[in-house]
Amino acid sequence: MPSLQAGYAPNLGVFLKSLKTAPLESSIENLISLLKRRQIRNSRPCAIATAHLLLRVVAKFRWTDIGNLLERIQEVGQRLVEAQPREMVVGNIVRRVLGMIRDEAKEDRTEDASDSTSTSQLGSPGRERSESGSFRTEGGAPTFSPLRFASTDASTLSEASGDDVFGGRSQPTSRPPLLTSHTSYAVLNGVPVQQSMFNLLSATPTPSSTPPHASSPHGKSTISATTLAQRIATTTRDLKAEVISGIEEIIDELDQVDDQIAAYAQEHIHSNEVILTHSSSLSVQKFLLKAAEKRRFTVIVAESYPNDHEATHAAVTGKVSQDLEGDEMSTETFLKPLSAAGITVILMTDATIFAIMSRVNKVILATHAVIANGGLIAAAGARIIAKAAKVHRTPVIVVSGIYKLSPEYPFEFESLIEYGDPGNIIGYGEGGLVEHMEVDNPVYDYVPPDLVDLYITNLGAHAPSYLYRIVADHYKPEDINFHKPELQF
Amino acid sequence: MPSSDSPTAEPSPAEAPAQGKGNAAKQPKGKEAAAPAEGSKLSGAELKKQAKAEKAARRAQALLEKGASAPAAAPTPGQQPKVDGQKGPKGQRQHQRGSSTSVEVKNLPVRGAQKTVPVPVAVEPKKEDKTVEFFRHLYKTRTTSIAGASKDVHPAVLALGLQMSNYTICGSCARLVATLQAFKRVIESYTTPPQNSLSRHLTSHVLSPQIEYLSSCRPLSISMGNAIRWLKLEVSKVDVSVPDAEAKKGLCDAIDVFIRERVTFADQVIARSAADKIKDGDVIMTYAKSSIVQRALVKAHEEGKKFRVIIVDSRPLHEGKHLAAALVRIGMDVKYCLINGLSHNIQDVTKVLLGAHAMMSNGRLFSRIGTALVAMEANEADKPVIVLCETIKFTERVALDSIVHNEIAPADELVIPGGPLEQWGDIKKLQLCNPMYDVTPADYIQMIITESGNVPPTSVPVLHRLGNESQG
Repeated sequence: MPSLQAGYAPNLGVFLKSLKTAPLESSIENLISLLKRRQIRNSRPCAIATAHLLLRVVAKFRWTDIGNLLERIQEVGQRLVEAQPREMVVGNIVRRVLGMIRDEAKEDRTEDASDSTSTSQLGSPGRERSESGSFRTEGGAPTFSPLRFASTDASTLSEASGDDVFGGRSQPTSRPPLLTSHTSYAVLNGVPVQQSMFNLLSATPTPSSTPPHASSPHGKSTISATTLAQRIATTTRDLKAEVISGIEEIIDELDQVDDQIAAYAQEHIHSNEVILTHSSSLSVQKFLLKAAEKRRFTVIVAESYPNDHEATHAAVTGKVSQDLEGDEMSTETFLKPLSAAGITVILMTDATIFAIMSRVNKVILATHAVIANGGLIAAAGARIIAKAAKVHRTPVIVVSGIYKLSPEYPFEFESLIEYGDPGNIIGYGEGGLVEHMEVDNPVYDYVPPDLVDLYITNLGAHAPSYLYRIVADHYKPEDINFHKPELQF
Repeated sequence: MPSSDSPTAEPSPAEAPAQGKGNAAKQPKGKEAAAPAEGSKLSGAELKKQAKAEKAARRAQALLEKGASAPAAAPTPGQQPKVDGQKGPKGQRQHQRGSSTSVEVKNLPVRGAQKTVPVPVAVEPKKEDKTVEFFRHLYKTRTTSIAGASKDVHPAVLALGLQMSNYTICGSCARLVATLQAFKRVIESYTTPPQNSLSRHLTSHVLSPQIEYLSSCRPLSISMGNAIRWLKLEVSKVDVSVPDAEAKKGLCDAIDVFIRERVTFADQVIARSAADKIKDGDVIMTYAKSSIVQRALVKAHEEGKKFRVIIVDSRPLHEGKHLAAALVRIGMDVKYCLINGLSHNIQDVTKVLLGAHAMMSNGRLFSRIGTALVAMEANEADKPVIVLCETIKFTERVALDSIVHNEIAPADELVIPGGPLEQWGDIKKLQLCNPMYDVTPADYIQMIITESGNVPPTSVPVLHRLGNESQG
């Protein structure tokens, strides 16, 4: 195993370092084994590792066709997801990258298509590009922009009207010309294009929509054959650069997400509040620290005993425990404990939650993953907290980066729950007990959406019922089941 | 830690050994009385002492440094051991550490030269109240050693107090029975002084110091309060003309009858009727450890019923582990989880059996912290919640939340030895809070099984009144 050869305690930092030098395939294997052994765990490290790995995959992969690239990323993504299906962020990042590549490719095609149709339309793709480009920098993520749809439609419409003049075979709603150059090229070389449902539907009317100035399909292909090779060479290089910068944007987003979330803190916390939080989370800590700059309040921390209590205690006292140091803290700036920021911090056990809930004004939870229905997966115990808050009519706020938002909708929530080491509950020293009884130690809880009042993400605050819309914004429907080929179209 | 400690202690050689001796002398004393103390607790206390010694040494050094600049150094080292000597017999106060040390610091400069006045200014900000604001009214220092106890306290009561304070005797009923047994011995060894009658003298001069001591070890449980009220009543009813020996015998018999009626038989009745409620194939969930729940489960098991038990437990006491061990020993099918596994297991459950510390007059259940969460989850999942409770635990008090009336255990119980929390006292604005009980709303409870029958929570005040009326 590559990680063993390396000879140091493997974690995220080591992995990222080795990524620069190690061959790609061994890096992939390395990450898979790290995920399997839980040496990289929790959402953020997993997301960062996945994004960096995919960056390498894109940079190393020699591809001639966008379909090849998508296939390759799907294949890598599938292996990663299978390695640790419960780290849902891995799949999320892969989907984000896939969606981003699709967007880039589509832009590219629009450009090609408008190139070949008329010179008068040249202005349109350029403008569209700048618009979409600016949109991306604002949103921090490539999305289906309504603007882009509009401009695409405009170009097809104008082309259709050109068709009208010649053959009258207009299909105002179709977007076929977008694909002409690529499809013809693919057919020419006998390379099958990875086709989604969208592509299939739009590709069928290809012959009817070949540009009018070509007298026959044969004529078209011969013409392109001479120019295409060189054109594709240039476009793929452009595309590659754009895909890489797209992934880098995702990595940047992962770095900044907590600060972006924290920016909303002061809108939600007022003076003299009593805030209950659970376990230890960098996002929540930054959120509260930001609020503490302006206001004084009290934070009650429930320790999340058998699994995360050490991290919680370390976070509360400001001492970094060994395993955390490598994993999460080394690259990040060291966070001062909340108590150092002038907030009164009260550490309590999980069992006390009901007793103190009557004094709590707000509950702020961190998450492991958020599901499209508005529910979330969080450290075990979160569900009881949310329930107790509901009983006491205390609002529950969930702080989460968009990258944790997963489009998967599992129908059986138990499948999302991971069970941890029962040795944390009853040590193996107590052999008599261990042998004769079942010990249960779930690591995660599923919190249904009706127990959550508000989600605060890096894009703002949302009601749980609105999350499906954000999912739709961030992932392409054809990518949702990328890791399950049997469910793909 | 001691290695890093010693160089700082060196400048004041008179003080360091005194402290060390104090430790050595104090510890075994604590241990022998404390019987099988928990390892974690003891080492926590040790660490505390170490930290204390370190702090004292640091202060002494600071004082010395101050003294070196001014010629007033001489009185300080001489005074330090005196202060320590005072502190020793007073016994170690567990959570008043911050304030007690600061008192010591404050005293020093006053007695010393006026030149040391700047010292408290520098040290003063360190004094911090580590109590949680909304529980502040509940904090009480716990006596954890027999040092400093009033000389009137009977040895049996002294031992009992220590056993209570380190949870060797834990649980409302166990404490009640142990207290009454100890009081029986107090009464047995009592002789009415001349010119006094038993009914006038016993309560005020003998029983009161015992009760005071016990409640300083751990606040009295509600059932203990009920029993003590009954005992006082019994004592006051003793006829003046009855000879001493006869009166004492009468009282001891009354105590025996009381224990038998209100606890032993009551437990049997409750266990039987709770065991009747358990059917083949049931999955019973319980929280922490209640002796009466344990009895009921064992009884049902003995009757040959096939059922599973899920025990939910929590930090820091882990009482459920003892219950689990007891049930596993007799071959029952047990699943054990902590409170984080509660919502995963509640779906499989068919009934929830809970023990009680007390039943409030408004139908609420006052029980080990975390019980309310279990009841809440069970209620949410539509599982019946059954409380097993002797009527001696009923009280006329009411409670709406768990904050007004509660018991705060020493926060250091939460510290895991070797964990990052060990030095939590040094971190400003960080507080640990360790309440013992919570209040479960009456709507979560479907039934209360008592020795006088199975009643809904609304009937608690009725039963309580009936019980008291029959008692006279």
